[in-house]
Amino acid sequence: MTAPQILGAPTPTARSAGLIGCTRCGRVFAPGTELCTRCGAPLSSRDPRALQRVWAWWFAGLVVYFPANIYPMLITRTLTYSGEGTILGGVVELLGHGDYFVAFVIFFASILIPVGKFLAIAFLALSIRNHRFLDEHAQHRLHAVVEFIGRWSMIDVFVVAILASLVRFDAVATINPGIAAISFALSVAFTMLSAQSFDPRQIWDE
Amino acid sequence: MTDPETPSPQSDVPQMQVTPARKRWWHQLSPVWLVPIVALAAALGVAWQSYAGRGELITISFQNASGIEAGQTPLKFRDVTIGVVEQVNFGAGLSEVLVNVRVSKDVAPFIDGSAEFWVVRPEVSVRGVTGLDTVLSGAFIAGRWDSESSGARNSFTGLEVPPMLGGLDQTGMAIVLKLRDGNQISAGAPILYRGIEVGAVGAPRLADDGDGVLIDAFIQAPYTERLTSASRFWDASGFDVSIGPSGVELDVKSLASLIEGGISFDTVVSGGDPVNAGDTFEVYPDENTARDSVFTSANDATLPVSVVFDGSVSGLTVGAEVRFRGLKVGQVTDLGAYVEGEGAARRVRLRANLELQIGKLGLGEDATPEQAIELLGTFVQNNGLRARLTTASILTGGLLVDLVELPDVAPATIRMDAAPYPELPTSEAALSDFAATSQGVFERINALPVEELMQSAIDALDSFRMLAADPATRRVPEAAVGLLDDTRALVTSEDVAAIPAEVRAITTSAREILNKIEEGQAVENLIAAIGRADRALTSLETASADFPAITAEVRSIAEKVDGLAMEELLASADQLINSADALIGTEEARALPAAFTGALEEATVFLAQIRAGGAIERANSAISAAEAAANSINEAASSLPDLSERMSGLVVSADGVIAGYGERSRFNSELMSVLRDIQSAADAVTALARTIERNPNSLILGR
Repeated sequence: MTAPQILGAPTPTARSAGLIGCTRCGRVFAPGTELCTRCGAPLSSRDPRALQRVWAWWFAGLVVYFPANIYPMLITRTLTYSGEGTILGGVVELLGHGDYFVAFVIFFASILIPVGKFLAIAFLALSIRNHRFLDEHAQHRLHAVVEFIGRWSMIDVFVVAILASLVRFDAVATINPGIAAISFALSVAFTMLSAQSFDPRQIWDE
Repeated sequence: MTDPETPSPQSDVPQMQVTPARKRWWHQLSPVWLVPIVALAAALGVAWQSYAGRGELITISFQNASGIEAGQTPLKFRDVTIGVVEQVNFGAGLSEVLVNVRVSKDVAPFIDGSAEFWVVRPEVSVRGVTGLDTVLSGAFIAGRWDSESSGARNSFTGLEVPPMLGGLDQTGMAIVLKLRDGNQISAGAPILYRGIEVGAVGAPRLADDGDGVLIDAFIQAPYTERLTSASRFWDASGFDVSIGPSGVELDVKSLASLIEGGISFDTVVSGGDPVNAGDTFEVYPDENTARDSVFTSANDATLPVSVVFDGSVSGLTVGAEVRFRGLKVGQVTDLGAYVEGEGAARRVRLRANLELQIGKLGLGEDATPEQAIELLGTFVQNNGLRARLTTASILTGGLLVDLVELPDVAPATIRMDAAPYPELPTSEAALSDFAATSQGVFERINALPVEELMQSAIDALDSFRMLAADPATRRVPEAAVGLLDDTRALVTSEDVAAIPAEVRAITTSAREILNKIEEGQAVENLIAAIGRADRALTSLETASADFPAITAEVRSIAEKVDGLAMEELLASADQLINSADALIGTEEARALPAAFTGALEEATVFLAQIRAGGAIERANSAISAAEAAANSINEAASSLPDLSERMSGLVVSADGVIAGYGERSRFNSELMSVLRDIQSAADAVTALARTIERNPNSLILGR
């Protein structure tokens, strides 16, 4: 990016140049081209429904995010104990045990990041043409960060999956994923789709 | 592709192809919207389902909610979890714990008035370990109810102890057992039929009238056929020690029944009527009593009366027999003291309440208490029927109430107005059999024909004198001398001298009786015997204390003997002496053969002695002869301490019998080691139970 050079002036875009940019490889084509001749991706100047999809996935992610926090994430059964733990409950329990670091990691990965993602996507979708708070470059960077970080939210689900598959000692100790694990995985997937549906080119549209 | 609505700053560039807008808004909708809609619908559906299907909330109140955790403790029906405790809080006034349980919806309608709830905790008892799964998983609430739904409720009172075996879903019969006390039976104790466990009892509870203890019991199905109205139950707890001809027998039932108690039953005779659920059976203290009870009268109506005693009733216990002419007709049901009179006349009297079995008074099957009390009243007035205390057992010192008919007693009546029951008149207690026996001995001595003897002696002397005076007699002086000898022998020795021997014989026979008692049935219950041996000794001491009185009586006998017609005797003797003198002085007498002369010389010496002493000495010697009789009696009396000693020795030996079983004997050491083994077994079980209670993990970890 050579932002300082073009500050103040409208950033030239493929669209403003009457061309269609390939979102995958970046090559521009004349209008009317259906497929990218370099990478074979379908070309479209702007997807008019992109924002709708963003919101749709966003809502779907939000809907499943609630059960992910209300219902138990892990169902632990040992000889003397049978319990279910929610995400937040687990954090509180870990804090109670003094495991501040692990508690923070879980809190960060399972609460802060998903919530931050929701906020970031909503912010981007709402302020796509309004750059009062963040300029185009910052918005673009924010979108890149959201896209990048999305897959790491699955760390929670991975932990559950690993625990559930490793801790299987029949009667002695068993860990099963709860309904929240599925919800959480869905929520992460939906927000990733939501972030992916976002067409960052629209940030630059006037 | 032109888009007139999108003005381009660069006119030379081709216009963008843009989708024509302004279609209906739903045409612009992305199909992706389906995803959140489906997700929302699913979420709402799940939420509604979990709300609608969350089941009924029922409240169970417990006194003790140990082990119950909110959100953890399940409610199980037939070992299947049908609900989970949602909340644990306190009832009004913190007097009970309310446990809210969310019960599965399809089961909830069946939880109606028939439902019972209890907490299942691990329990280690002598009969085994139950609820072991709860050691690991924690306590759970178990419930049971019948399979008909009749008006579901949602508030219940939980049972503090698990209900006994059986119940709503098990076939069998619930009956009620009645015991005198419940300290030998604990909940869950087995009911045995010929040694096979056929049921169990619940927790003992006090009868409504406070008289006895009731226990719910359950007999399992095939064995209920063994149960008829002729069945008798008895307490099979603990162990029996019996001393019989075959030696000492120790009968220990199962270890469980030893510690936890147990009840056996048997149907002794055929022909009993079938029983209904809920019938009450009495539990007899032991098997013999139970079996005997079958043959007692069918009329089990009882007549309560009370008896007031002045003296000590030490040794009289509740349950002691009431006998009438040797037959048991009832028992003591209650003992108590009360204050009678006012002011200085106040005194404490002891009242025993008796329960007489009307059927045993000979009034027939249908006699009523009114008839019975009327009969007793007649007996009291006409036959001198009195209640008195009698020693039931010499060894134990136990007392029983004897209804005796005494011929010469002051007239009395039954006090019908006495509270709480009509009061029977009493007579002086025949407290000690020893005393009674000794007294009997002296009554016999007293009844000996001493007076007649004296009279006979006098008569004999008279006759002798007449004989001596008779010329015919002078021809046969040896007859007179022989008679004199006989008389002397009679007065001085044999019969009277035999009296002490007789006393001894009686004593010996008394001792033999005791020996028989020892051999026969002396110690039925060793523990009780040891416990009460002290009282036996005390009672014997009391008996010994009575001896001075007896001695005094003997002395009075002696005095009586002294006071007999001595003067007459002396006068007769004087005359006899004179006549004899005259007789001896005759020539015919001198002509008697040497042998006869020897006899006569003896008589002469005797007479000379009497004569030489003068009137007073004669009297003295006559008296001394009589006194010899009295002395003999005195000797008998003086042998009383000896008798007493013998009896003491008897007691000591009786004590020794007991002590033989008490201190160091092999039997005892065996018994002790048995008991010690049982004790250590019980200790081990207790320790195990405690360990598990403290550290349930030890079961898993092996520590």
